[in-house]
Amino acid sequence: MLARRWGRRFDALTSDDVPFTRLRKPLHACRIALITTGGVHLRTQQPFDMGDSRGDPSFRAIPADTPAEQLTITHDYYDHRDAERDLNILFPLALGRELVARGALGSLGTGYSFMGHIEPPHVETLLRRTAPEVARRLRQEQIDAVLLTPA
Amino acid sequence: MGLVARVIEAAGIATVCVVGLREIAEQVRPPRAVHLKWPFGHPLGEPGNRAQQLSVIHYALAALYTVEEPGTILDPDWRWRREAYAEPSSWVMP
Repeated sequence: MLARRWGRRFDALTSDDVPFTRLRKPLHACRIALITTGGVHLRTQQPFDMGDSRGDPSFRAIPADTPAEQLTITHDYYDHRDAERDLNILFPLALGRELVARGALGSLGTGYSFMGHIEPPHVETLLRRTAPEVARRLRQEQIDAVLLTPA
Repeated sequence: MGLVARVIEAAGIATVCVVGLREIAEQVRPPRAVHLKWPFGHPLGEPGNRAQQLSVIHYALAALYTVEEPGTILDPDWRWRREAYAEPSSWVMP
C-alpha cells in the first residue's frame, strides 16, 4: 500500500535520463561519504520538522568521527528503534571507520542526513537547493563515491 | 533518496543507493541501486548482525565498479532472515 501511494507521488518525477559518473579509483584509495534519508542527526542539531506533512527538505551534516551516542533519529514515519540500538543498520559510520582502519577504504568524509518522502513544494527545494548544496560540499571535500541508505 | 543521488552523480560523484522499494527506484532511476525488500528502517540488516551489514555494504560498493548501465537495479535476493551471511573476505575493488 505504501509503495503504491509513494509510487503515485513519484509519477511526476519519472525520468528517462540517468546521470552517470564512473568511479576510476580503487576502493582503498577512495574517499567515501555516507548519506541517509532516515532522519538521523546530532542530538545538538535541530530535529527534522515532523509538523509539515509534506516533509522537511533540509539536511544535517554529520562529521565522520561522530560517536553513535551523539546521534539520534527524528522521523515519525518508520520504526527506528532497531536503528537507534545499532546505527550500522541504517547509517554505518562505525563500520565505515572500521573499513578505513583496515585499509579497505581510503577515508570517510562528512556524512549527510535527510528525511525521506519529500512532497511538493519541498521537492523543488530539495532538487534546486539542498541536494545541490550537499553535492557542492562533497566535491569540496573531494569525495569519490557516496553510499546512500533509506529509512 | 534517489533524487539526492541523481543530483550528486550529476555533480561528478559516483553514487550507489540501497533501496527497499523497487517501484520507486524504477521511476526515480538513481544511477545505481541495490534492492533489498527488507523491513523499513533496516536497509543494511538486523541490529548486531555484522556479517549481514558488511555483506550489503560490500555488495553496494562493488556495484560502483560493476554497473555499466545507468539506472541499473541489482537484486541480490537475500532473505531478511535465515540467510547464512559471512563477512566479506576481501575488499579489494576493482
